[in-house]
Amino acid sequence: MKARTVLAVALGTVAAATLLVLLAGASPADALAALLRGAFGSKAAAGETAARSTGLVLTAVAAVVAFRAGVLNIGLEGQFLAGAAAAAAVGPLFPDLPFAARAAVILAAPLAGALQAAPAAWLAEKRRVPPVLSTILLNLVAAAGVTWLVRGPLRDPAGDYPQSRALSDAVLLAPLVPGARATAAVLAALVLAALAAFLLSRTPLGLALRAVGEAPRAARAAGLPDVRLRSGAFLASGALAGLGGGLEVLALTGRLYDPFTAGVGYSGIAAALLGGMTPLGGAASGVLFAALGAGSSALQRDAGVPSALASIVPALAVLGLLLAQGGRTAEGSR
Amino acid sequence: MTGFVEIALLLAAPLLIAATGELLLERAGSIQIGLEGTMLVGAFVAFAAGRGGLPPASSLAAAALAGFLAGLLFALFAVARRADPILVGTVWNLLALGATAFAYRLAAGETGAVLEVRTLPRGLFGVPDAVLASFLAPVVLHFWLARTRAGLRLAAAGENPEALRSLGLSVVAVRSGAAAASGVLGALGGAMLILTVSPTFVEGVTAGRGFLALALVVFARWKPLALLPAALLLGGVTALQYQLQAGGFGLPYAFFIALPGLVALGALALASTRGGAPKALGSAAP
Amino acid sequence: MTTPPFALELSGITKSFGAVRALDGARFVLRPGEIHALLGENGAGKSTLVAIAAGILRPDAGEIHRNEARVSYADPRAARRAGIALVPQHDLLVEAATVADNLALLDPFAPAIESRRARRERVVRLARASGLDLGSPEALVAVLPVGTRQRIGIAGALQTDPDVLILDEPTAVLSPDETAALFRALRRRTDAGRSVLLITHRLAEVFESADRLTLLSRGRTLLETPVATTTTGDVAALLLGGAEATSRPVALSPAVRREGALPALDLEGFAPTGSGAPAVSLSIAAGEALTLLAIDGNGADLLGAAIAGTRPADGLLRVAGRSVAPGSSLAFRAAGGAFIPADRRAEGLVAGLSLAENLFLRRPPGRLTIDRAALAAAATDRLRRFGVRASGPGARAGDLSGGNQQKLLLARELEPLPKLLVAIHPTRGLDIASSEDVRARLLDAARSGAGVLVVTADPEEAQELGAAVRVVYRGALSPPLPPSTSLAELGRFMAGLAA
Repeated sequence: MKARTVLAVALGTVAAATLLVLLAGASPADALAALLRGAFGSKAAAGETAARSTGLVLTAVAAVVAFRAGVLNIGLEGQFLAGAAAAAAVGPLFPDLPFAARAAVILAAPLAGALQAAPAAWLAEKRRVPPVLSTILLNLVAAAGVTWLVRGPLRDPAGDYPQSRALSDAVLLAPLVPGARATAAVLAALVLAALAAFLLSRTPLGLALRAVGEAPRAARAAGLPDVRLRSGAFLASGALAGLGGGLEVLALTGRLYDPFTAGVGYSGIAAALLGGMTPLGGAASGVLFAALGAGSSALQRDAGVPSALASIVPALAVLGLLLAQGGRTAEGSR
Repeated sequence: MTGFVEIALLLAAPLLIAATGELLLERAGSIQIGLEGTMLVGAFVAFAAGRGGLPPASSLAAAALAGFLAGLLFALFAVARRADPILVGTVWNLLALGATAFAYRLAAGETGAVLEVRTLPRGLFGVPDAVLASFLAPVVLHFWLARTRAGLRLAAAGENPEALRSLGLSVVAVRSGAAAASGVLGALGGAMLILTVSPTFVEGVTAGRGFLALALVVFARWKPLALLPAALLLGGVTALQYQLQAGGFGLPYAFFIALPGLVALGALALASTRGGAPKALGSAAP
Repeated sequence: MTTPPFALELSGITKSFGAVRALDGARFVLRPGEIHALLGENGAGKSTLVAIAAGILRPDAGEIHRNEARVSYADPRAARRAGIALVPQHDLLVEAATVADNLALLDPFAPAIESRRARRERVVRLARASGLDLGSPEALVAVLPVGTRQRIGIAGALQTDPDVLILDEPTAVLSPDETAALFRALRRRTDAGRSVLLITHRLAEVFESADRLTLLSRGRTLLETPVATTTTGDVAALLLGGAEATSRPVALSPAVRREGALPALDLEGFAPTGSGAPAVSLSIAAGEALTLLAIDGNGADLLGAAIAGTRPADGLLRVAGRSVAPGSSLAFRAAGGAFIPADRRAEGLVAGLSLAENLFLRRPPGRLTIDRAALAAAATDRLRRFGVRASGPGARAGDLSGGNQQKLLLARELEPLPKLLVAIHPTRGLDIASSEDVRARLLDAARSGAGVLVVTADPEEAQELGAAVRVVYRGALSPPLPPSTSLAELGRFMAGLAA
């Protein structure tokens, strides 16, 4: 991305945000102050930002891994849900062995995410079905699955709400700092982002993935196992998103309910785009989106600007980028 | 029983008209997964127009206009500038969700009161005329694609855009027109949600119906007439669930919502290539 | 007695695409009632000239006259209204639609709404009027054979009953019988006073069925003559002599066979799937080179790509004695195969990656991680040895010039030395010096023990490679010809004129 483009898009976004704030009858200075306070102003606030980052960072990295390999995985939402469902199913199973429960969740969640992605990967390679179509269908199936699970097999016998049995407090991840919601989960997410960055840029496998994503025909003619590479990236992407869902349950909610996500799977894609389709860029954007989300309630409460501004701003930024770049942003994708 | 049929029709109509618009666009070779966002915009505009004093029919028209503009905007990004339509669509959903929530909050203020608007007057079969028109939409599209010259050209844009170019026609123009039309239909679908069943707006009122409409298009294998039974089935099942209201029906209801998705996936697996999707779906215009 | 006006006259036509001058003062005249053949080597400007005639392109300079009146067509539709219709080489039909719907799409006079019956009647009417078999109106184009699809494309153009019908390589996909039927149909049109312009490479057809011919070379008109007053030999000589002569005499020694090693390549009953080409059997020994010489479109490219596994094929394929499943690049390379594809931009290099990354795509130095220092060093060394001019190993592959890209591909494929190297059009688009360099390296590889298969369309290159030559015509191979075979003789084989 050219620096000039980035600057233009950033300025455009700030201008639009300012306009919206004024439209809401608030002062831009107040709005900005409230947002910053809500995102970083206190231990609780910073913890909130960090807590929200986990899911966003993981879905952003998941998007990057898939898109760079040429797979337009729009199914992150469903893969996230699959991981959360797995965590909700497996977590309560070992009430006296918290370590075992956590291990089970950390294994089951990515596995569930990969399984959720698997039919789409198969259809893409064996039937040439564009991943966008199959993953959107799978998202619907996953959402319906969650609706069923929380009212059926996973239903919490205590209470009237449709939600799953809670994981015991001993199993849930402890906050890193008392009084804040952030747990080790966010660290895990950031470490995975760094690993993904390392893998893509510094390993032979990463090189092969990038080649397959950039020029699938040339990669195949050059003797790279393109089908295996693409499918592997697809499944890995699903696993990362699934882990995000599992950690959401393990670290924040303790259970599954319906609806569970606020479109984190799609926000992850936007974050990946904003981050230039790199793991670290996507992670940084994910944290930015999380900060905006964390600050949004303060924005509404203190400055009187509807909290929805926090989701408009990143979307405008990405749209601005897409308009400026034109052409294909995910090259080589089928 | 009359109540059941009414409700089934009311529930099916928004899906049907939104799916018809998307089907038209995909046959032209583009794809707008941001249909959810367009429906949301239509819903909000209809709501705002109603709160602003416009009669329901005019609110519908206002929503259509908003959809038209939304479609043109999509065409600017995804067709003319040739950005990946899937990426544009994803971000459009996020933007529409935020923008409509923002606008609603500004319009409604801080009160927790439920704001209502007038609904469309009921007519034949106990449903508004607009709902009945929705059932005509796929039929009209079928006829248009099969028998008109413009329909042939649109289908060519989605199957072999080079062929259109060699005839001296612009693929960008055809796809942009399709985008505008599908924007209108998508927005009307959202508007109908507000102006028929539950005449009030909440954040994310469309609740995934846009994606369901996308699934219907795949389920119908891009053939307009096949949308009718699919939408009616969904409408019927949802109406049934409302009738029964018992919590213990979680299984059948969720299953029926997943059904179009599962069946469509099955159809994709069984078909030879691409599941019947237009050959040039999602490609850049030559 | 006045001569009737020329149906079409293009004079002094110049057209450039960026730095490339496709046409340089070309001239072309089409008389009413004639079948006219337009000949020329690849890149001579035929397609460009024809695109200008059909209103698809505008010339930078020059004039177009139609029936003695000066004209200028803003777009293909204007040309169509003036009675000029072009049928492109690759059919532009909608596979998922029926024959009837496709012909309706191609009909500029189609009504806005049309019944199924009217569309069906159009097909019947066109089939009768043109004498071409168009298949059943309700058949989906996707299931029709290539010949029928070609005819539908032609019928589509005939709907306006064009005075001037332009066909780009119409017989490339037709069987001899279909070709004869097509020419009969074309002759019926010219007997009625219409004109037909054909772009073709098939000299045999030209001398059998055309009235006049025009030969283009490097954007200029070399020859304009009635067919009756010239011979295939003359034309073939001009056609092939158009390629730029080398400045140095051939001085490369022939490759030496390695005795005792397994054959580098073994084909038995091998043919690309669905090509209609006859099954091929041949053998290349280790250390031996073989040149496949053919005019584009005769199946040599496809055969080479099929051997390398990038196109599906049937039959037996063995590389260095190992059986290789056809259609798998992986299996081909696992057996020791290397491949330089025809389209180096789309199938050769990964444009967005660096030179070093392209060179070591499959096995970069380093174990768990890529050893960047070693990668850069190894890349720099190899780039130097292969003469690739670039700013450094980190430069973007897509930014290299064509010649350097080709050398980069060679650098990638020739080390470690493969058992078999398949190279398709390895010097296409390269200047003389680069071409000679590439050829020398190919022969070096053979001398070092690799089997080398080169596909080329340039008979002079076939001579220079100094290896046995087999000409490919319509998918069939000629017997091996010595590299000392004359250009004229090679030309006859390439044109399908030899026994």
